[in-house]
Amino acid sequence: MDKLKQNTLVQGTLDMLILKTLALEPMHGYGIGARIEQVSKGVFKVNAGSLFPAFRRLERDGLIKGQWEVTENNRRAKRYSLTSQGRATLKRETRDWEIQTAAIARILQASLGEL
Amino acid sequence: MNPLRRLIAGIRSLFRKDLDERELDDELRAYLEASTADKIKKGLSREEALRAARIELGSLDAVKEEIRDVGWESLVGAFLQDVRFATRTLRLSPGFTAFIILTLALGIGANTAIFSVINGVLLKPLDYDRSDRLVVLHGYAANFGQMSISYPNFSDWRLQNHVFEKVGVYNRGSYNLTGSGEAEQLRAAQMSADLFAALRVKPELGRIYTNDEDRPSAAPVIVLSYGLWQRRFAGDSSIIGRVVTLNDQSYVVIGVMPQEFLFPSGVEMWVPAGPLSDRDPWMRRGSHPGLTAVARLRDGVTLEEARQDMALVTAAIEKQYPDSNSGHTATMAPMLEESVRNIRRSLYVLAGAVAFVLLIACANAGSLMLGRVASRKKELALRTALGASRWRIVRQLLTESAVIAALAGALALVIARWGIGAILELIPAGTLPRARQIHLDWHVLVFTAALSIMAAIIFGLAPALRSSASSLDEALKETSRGTTSGRQWLRNGVVASEIGVTLVLLFGAGLMIRSFLRLQQVNPGFSTESTLSFAVSLPEQTYPDTAMDRRINFFNEVKSRIQVLPGVRGVGLSSGLPLGHNSSTWAFSIAGKPETSKQQPVMEYCVADAGYFETMRIPLLRGRWFNEEDNRSHVDSKSLQGKSRFELFMAGMRTIIIDEGFARRHFPNEDPVGKQIVLEGSLSLTIVGVVGRVNMEGLRDNSDLVQAYFPFLQVPNGAMVFTVRTQLPPENLIPSIRQQVRAVDPRQPIFDIRTLQQIREQLIAPERLNLTLLGVFAAIALVLALVGVFGVISWSVTQRTKEIGVRIALGAPGSEVLCLVFRQGTRVIGTGIGIGLVGAVLLTRLMTTMLFEVSPTDPLTFVSTVVLLVSVALLACWVPARRATKVDPIIVLRHN
Repeated sequence: MDKLKQNTLVQGTLDMLILKTLALEPMHGYGIGARIEQVSKGVFKVNAGSLFPAFRRLERDGLIKGQWEVTENNRRAKRYSLTSQGRATLKRETRDWEIQTAAIARILQASLGEL
Repeated sequence: MNPLRRLIAGIRSLFRKDLDERELDDELRAYLEASTADKIKKGLSREEALRAARIELGSLDAVKEEIRDVGWESLVGAFLQDVRFATRTLRLSPGFTAFIILTLALGIGANTAIFSVINGVLLKPLDYDRSDRLVVLHGYAANFGQMSISYPNFSDWRLQNHVFEKVGVYNRGSYNLTGSGEAEQLRAAQMSADLFAALRVKPELGRIYTNDEDRPSAAPVIVLSYGLWQRRFAGDSSIIGRVVTLNDQSYVVIGVMPQEFLFPSGVEMWVPAGPLSDRDPWMRRGSHPGLTAVARLRDGVTLEEARQDMALVTAAIEKQYPDSNSGHTATMAPMLEESVRNIRRSLYVLAGAVAFVLLIACANAGSLMLGRVASRKKELALRTALGASRWRIVRQLLTESAVIAALAGALALVIARWGIGAILELIPAGTLPRARQIHLDWHVLVFTAALSIMAAIIFGLAPALRSSASSLDEALKETSRGTTSGRQWLRNGVVASEIGVTLVLLFGAGLMIRSFLRLQQVNPGFSTESTLSFAVSLPEQTYPDTAMDRRINFFNEVKSRIQVLPGVRGVGLSSGLPLGHNSSTWAFSIAGKPETSKQQPVMEYCVADAGYFETMRIPLLRGRWFNEEDNRSHVDSKSLQGKSRFELFMAGMRTIIIDEGFARRHFPNEDPVGKQIVLEGSLSLTIVGVVGRVNMEGLRDNSDLVQAYFPFLQVPNGAMVFTVRTQLPPENLIPSIRQQVRAVDPRQPIFDIRTLQQIREQLIAPERLNLTLLGVFAAIALVLALVGVFGVISWSVTQRTKEIGVRIALGAPGSEVLCLVFRQGTRVIGTGIGIGLVGAVLLTRLMTTMLFEVSPTDPLTFVSTVVLLVSVALLACWVPARRATKVDPIIVLRHN
């Protein structure tokens, strides 16, 4: 399997992935992880040990907001949603990311061509 | 990203810790459930799904820990945990803990106490608005040094300078307050209105006098101090406008100053200086009646610019009045600096000494911690094995140091409080400027806190770093065998430096002791034994210069009444007492001798009667005492009509007694008796006697002025000091003396009642204080060094028990074992002494000005302190060495 370990995720990318996921719809913690795994077709498998610290970090920075609600089987669960500040950050980071990856891709292709 | 937001979130979560924990649990449970449900959907059984979800999640606690670590507040939690753990560990060895805390508390406490003094005396600004702009001015003459200002000069300074916002002068004086209650002598300042303005002070009640009231022949007014107002007038606010009688003259009370205004120190009231300025001796430019000036610099003017301006001003005055002002300039210094000039050096030396004490205390504590870490090696190794990082262990050990330092700091405040009280007790009133400013304030608290933290780092860091350096493997393998020589080296080094620093302190204290003994042995030229002195100051109003007989009658009457009191052996009169810096000076020439140098010679003089020399036991070397013949009978009182005060006095003068220094300098190889000296160019005085020299300016007699005496009957001064030699304890005489003076004139109070011994004691009080403090610090250092040496030697004996046991088993005699231990001891002590000698040579030079007739490298002091320290240190080796010889080889060998 070409499954990447979470610690090989580029520093800071997890935050961006979470923001992107939440930009689609508010979600519970597990759902976010599952969604990232599903959309990345299993390339990124994010465990709770990195997911939850990221939630707390983003929440503290005011990029996402958690809200407690009662689930179908009468348990408390926290649903996260994107704040306007989070939306702005996502937009900015996405643009930065695209510029960077395009640049990296160009470099990689150039060097391949020379080989 | 947003530090403020993070800070707030952290603080919030610190306060809702329980809620946070619950939410964390809830969230993780929800996650687990969702994960399980997901897996069931994918076709796993409920149990399998739960298992898989759990495995995926991993350790719940680890996840929680990671989440908690996101916020900075988790560090606080860890710190509190460290503190709890440290407290528990320290409680396990209460003796050790108490000892370290006490050691450090002594060091920090002593520093805090001294810092409080320095803070109060040297650092705090004076209690005036923008007090950094205030300067004090004195006169200065090359052949005389610093001197007081003459009023005409001051008037010119005031007019001609360009740098002062306000400038005023003050002089100390005393006044008899009569009417309403017992007559009392009060200390007053004769002060310019502008001096109040320069200080920018406001009255508590009423007003301060104006410049119009501060000039010749203005109506007399007076401003009271808060203390006098309370004491004498019961704080009655209707005092304003009331008339009081001072020196038999009426003064209108116009104001009361606030309680905290005490300038110049010790005065109880203020009168304008101006009304005195057209009278003798203030009116004469050549007379320097004791004036000091205080000025406020204009905004933007620097001290240097002000000095330059005053140099121009004084040069112009000198040019205009070459007779009286040749070579005269002015000195100027910031007011704070001026008020603490004499004490600064000794305070800094004490601060240095006390900092050394703290260093020693830290070294001791550090050395003890090193030993303790060594004995905890296994525990620490185990914690490392269980996953504690190196940083974590260092943090834990540093926390232990911090807990110790914090407790020591708290105890230090108690010690400091007590210490400040003791220091203030030791300071006789009036000898330490600004003593009222000394107390524990927040500056001092910050200082103590900083000191404690620093101490924690100094004594905690080395052991902490050392402990974590040793490898796990080695530590666990090592049994009680042997020592790591590196650590022994470190401890030896610490103790050696401790000994070095102690030697410096001991040496400093030794020098102070020697100097103090020297000072106590000084023969001031007179005997202070069972002699009482007191002053009487007859007011001009009722005992005027034009009726000098009245004064003579008063003093003679009092004298003869005291003479017959039981126990009295002699009574003398003089215009001032020795040691007190209160003589006056006068330029003179020798009849029949041409001037050899440009500068006229100057003498210090007093007015005295024959009884003075007798009661003071000042020896007569040649000629005779004054007697009844040295009187004013030759004066034709009619010719003196309308003459100035100065001329009135001069008219009576005929004879003079000089001191041996005078005789040696101006009459070498000839008999001065019968020769004449000339004052003011025309007044010839015949020398009738030569007496021994007395120390006029204090015990450290470094004045080279020659001394002379005028007979009281020719110069009947209104303000005289009585000296009464008695067989009884001098204090017992006071009531009957008071009674006798009252019988002669009930309106004349007596004041400055002191025994000569008290005067002398007060002079050496600053030295006594320095000596006591330095002695205490040195003693603490010595004890700490003793403990340090003892600690390091016993520790090494314990470490080498097995080696020693083997040696004994192989037949080594006790003496050889002793030698073994002492060899290590002497190495440490020797190194320490070496360090100390270098330090002492470098540092005690700073004490030169504090010492009296003792060189800062005094060999006797050197040798004796080294001997003392070495013997104490060897004593500290002796106990563990003895224990080493008692090692039972059988037990040691079986033990292994």
